[in-house]
Amino acid sequence: MVDVSQHELVPEHTVLDDDELEDVLEEYNIKKTDLPKIKRLDSALPDDADVGDVIKVVRDSRTTDRAMVYRLVVE
Amino acid sequence: MSAQQTPKEIGQISFGLMDPEEYRDMSATKVITADTYDDDGFPIDMGLMDPRLGVIDPGLECKTCGKHSGSCNGHFGHIELAAPVIHVGFAKLIRRLLRGTCRDCSRLCLDATEREEFEDRLTRSRELGKDLNDVTKAAIRQARKKDVCPFCGEVQYDINHEKPTTYYEVQQVLSSDYPERIAAAMEPDPDDEDSERVTPQELADETGIAPSRVNEILSGEFRPREDDRKAIEKVIDVDLTEEDMNKLMPSDIRDWFEDIPDEDMEVLGVSPEKSRPEWMILTVLPVPPVTARPSITLDNGQRSEDDLTHKLVDIIRINQRFMENREAGAPQLIIEDLWELLQYHVTTFMDNEISGTPPARHRSGRPLKTLSQRLKGKEGRFRGSLSGKRVNFSARTVISPDPTLSLNEVGVPDRVASEMTQTMIVNERNIEEARRYVSNGPENHPGANYVRRPDGRRLKVTEKNCEELAEKVQPGWEVARHLVDGDIVIFNRQPSLHRMSIMAHEVVVMPYKTFRLNTTVCPPYNADFDGDEMNMHALQNEEARAEARVLMRVQEQILSPRFGENIIGAIQDHVTAAYLLTNQNPEFNETQALDLLRATRIDELPEPDGEDEVGRPYWTGRSIFSELLPDDLDLEFTSSAGDTVVIEDGQLLDGTIDEDAVGAFGGEIVDTIAKVYSNTRARIFINEVSSLAIRTIMHFGFSIGIDDESIPEAAEEQIDEAIGSAYDRVQELIETYEQGDLESLPGRTVDETLEMKIMQALGRARDSAGDIAEDHFADDNPAVVMAESGARGSMLNLTQMAGCVGQQAVRGERINRGYENRTLSHYQEDDLSADAHGFVEASYRSGLSPREFFFHAMGGREGLVDTAVRTSKSGYLQRRLINALSELETQYDGTVRDTSDTIVQFEFGEDGTSPVQVSSDEEHVIDVDQIAESVLDAEFASDAEREQFIGSQAEPTNLSEHEAEWRIESDD
Repeated sequence: MVDVSQHELVPEHTVLDDDELEDVLEEYNIKKTDLPKIKRLDSALPDDADVGDVIKVVRDSRTTDRAMVYRLVVE
Repeated sequence: MSAQQTPKEIGQISFGLMDPEEYRDMSATKVITADTYDDDGFPIDMGLMDPRLGVIDPGLECKTCGKHSGSCNGHFGHIELAAPVIHVGFAKLIRRLLRGTCRDCSRLCLDATEREEFEDRLTRSRELGKDLNDVTKAAIRQARKKDVCPFCGEVQYDINHEKPTTYYEVQQVLSSDYPERIAAAMEPDPDDEDSERVTPQELADETGIAPSRVNEILSGEFRPREDDRKAIEKVIDVDLTEEDMNKLMPSDIRDWFEDIPDEDMEVLGVSPEKSRPEWMILTVLPVPPVTARPSITLDNGQRSEDDLTHKLVDIIRINQRFMENREAGAPQLIIEDLWELLQYHVTTFMDNEISGTPPARHRSGRPLKTLSQRLKGKEGRFRGSLSGKRVNFSARTVISPDPTLSLNEVGVPDRVASEMTQTMIVNERNIEEARRYVSNGPENHPGANYVRRPDGRRLKVTEKNCEELAEKVQPGWEVARHLVDGDIVIFNRQPSLHRMSIMAHEVVVMPYKTFRLNTTVCPPYNADFDGDEMNMHALQNEEARAEARVLMRVQEQILSPRFGENIIGAIQDHVTAAYLLTNQNPEFNETQALDLLRATRIDELPEPDGEDEVGRPYWTGRSIFSELLPDDLDLEFTSSAGDTVVIEDGQLLDGTIDEDAVGAFGGEIVDTIAKVYSNTRARIFINEVSSLAIRTIMHFGFSIGIDDESIPEAAEEQIDEAIGSAYDRVQELIETYEQGDLESLPGRTVDETLEMKIMQALGRARDSAGDIAEDHFADDNPAVVMAESGARGSMLNLTQMAGCVGQQAVRGERINRGYENRTLSHYQEDDLSADAHGFVEASYRSGLSPREFFFHAMGGREGLVDTAVRTSKSGYLQRRLINALSELETQYDGTVRDTSDTIVQFEFGEDGTSPVQVSSDEEHVIDVDQIAESVLDAEFASDAEREQFIGSQAEPTNLSEHEAEWRIESDD
């Protein structure tokens, strides 16, 4: 099987720990459920990601070099 | 709304079902008579037009609230239905509830663990803002799987729903011909020789039923019990049951639903305090107020009732008949028929476009427009009356060009200006002006149409009372004056596909009947003058006017967020003229040079570029153009004519100014000025370039005719030769193909390969014909000038006019349709040659042969069909896209969120930058050098200069081109 997370077009996905998550939620003044969602079965997710976790995606950006996006893992 | 009323804030809205008791409570009257008015024309009491339901005739008083028509909103009445009926809007939910709940105890057929699971899923879905329907649907699906109720043990049956409003319970019952079925199954199978007849004794042995009982069953004297039936079915492999459809009457369903416990409804996502399920079965029907269904009086004095009233009449009539029949003890069959009829009328009262039911019709045969038809669709209440409606202070007329206007302006016909008004609040300082407007009356242009006194009374200004009224005007009055020059209005052309389809313009009042536009604003509106119409809206409060002036004015929209470059710039003739002025760099004497610049701010010429033989000074086209450039502009780029344009210190040193320099859609100079200087500077530049261009093209003269595309006979022979050799090549290809020697290209069949190669050969032939023709055109040929400068047309157009039109295609292939194995009856069957498949050898100038013309029409038609299909498709796509994006908003923290605060983008566009504020130079996405230079410049300057630098950085808000004039006016 191909591991898509190794593909050059798939950005880095990491699970946020609780402290980081709190910082993110505070920064944007939101609840966890206000984040964009990602399906648990998405092949780009790291293996230890579970429903309810928040994933940090670091993308290469043409204009800002690195763009950070957070997603909530859902069923 | 009167001025005293303050707006109220809505705390919350909750949606739910309505309790029949609530209908009765809010009802102004019970309606029992199907008639509307009596013979004297008075509304009948407890009829559909009962005066307690509201008033529509002016002068009458509402019997419920005492208000007059206009201020009384109307009051609901109610009809007591003789029997409960199903509300069509809830047909699906009713079906779901019937399937998910027990037929006996009405409890939801889910055990405790399942309930908990679905309740959890519901709360999670609510948090995530997902569709709750998915969960409740799954819950019903789970409950439906149960054969017996987990609470009372009752066997559950399947529910059949016959659209729109009939429900059946499907039960398996012993069929009436069970003895015959058993007997037939006991006979040996005729197709199978091994099978033997089953005797009743054998049957008795195997099923364990007493032999005497088996015989009784076989003779039909005894109905087998359920266990026996199953045993017999198993042994002799026969189905003794048939489906019995047991119709559920609305009253049964209502009883069923009444017993569903509150906590079970919560599992299905329904709040029981607000919506009890039995309320989906109507026992009381609310009667809309008469104001919602006004009757109109026709010219002949006859009253014509609204469709809703007609429908209500039907409902009351059937309701009455139903009750009479039931009291008279009519047979069940008749009662059921009437019940169904009542159901039909109530159903069509709500929705008259249900599939499976014939729509209720007016006497004329027109389907009635009932409740849901009033709401649905483009002309419905939501899209037609709430999201979009007709407005006051708007005008629409044909547009025409006026190159003397600034691109910020719009020419408004005087008759439009006298209809659209602006409110002017009179004070000590403008009272003279206000009186002048009023004394001009409503018909002389800078006049006034209305005045409003401080007590709120609105007076119409007429020709007769204007002088008198002007005297009375005092500070504190409001005067509705006509539009005058310099007022700001909003201008729009449909389809409004992007932001620049609606822009603010300054008014210039003009005679005649059309709106006048500067031609440079055609690209953002996608307008031309072949009959296009546009809309104008006069703004009605200071806030709107300020916003329009600062944000929406045309000059603020020069840069398009669509592609980050300018969308307003020189077009067509302007581009041609700029090319003529700068390409060969012609020389002009003083008179000529001043004439070219007369419509610009320039009134003094620079140092002459030289002197002619007689010693008179001359100026070159490039230095005249340079007068319009900002003094410190440095720029270098390649023009569409192909040479390098060099601008240093605001002087055009070399190169041709054309489409790529000053054109709309990314003209380099316009783009740079708008970004580096300001929108105001860019507006001035575009206005001046177009003025200069128009004087230039008038100086040189520019025309085009059919003779401009003719080429020498020798060249024509050359073209014929080129095409001839292409024909030979095609013939060769066909011969190789017919001999079977043609080698197919990878991934294609031999036939496809042949087609491709023929197309290629003919394409080359057309190109070489074009090249030959092009060689014979002079550089000053008008068509060449237009194509080279990018003003209009292309070299391909020229090739087709002078050389050869080329292959016509339908769906990307040579023309293959028409008769069997040939395109036209003029050709042999299976003729593969070029001219038999739509190659047009002629040029447009020489004229097409009839066969060529026919093929050309086929190709042309495809183009037309394509555009027609594309516009409708892209229109719908645009609507869906806009509906999906309309509620997204960039917040002050840079995130993009929807109305429920869910984040869509963490930083607008990943980088938080506006596309129009970014350099459009592809090589240097961000011009770091230039930024560094300007920072250093500022650093090394003296303190005083530096302070000045920081202080003078902000461009003053330029409110109007006429700002200076206002100052002068206010001085005296």
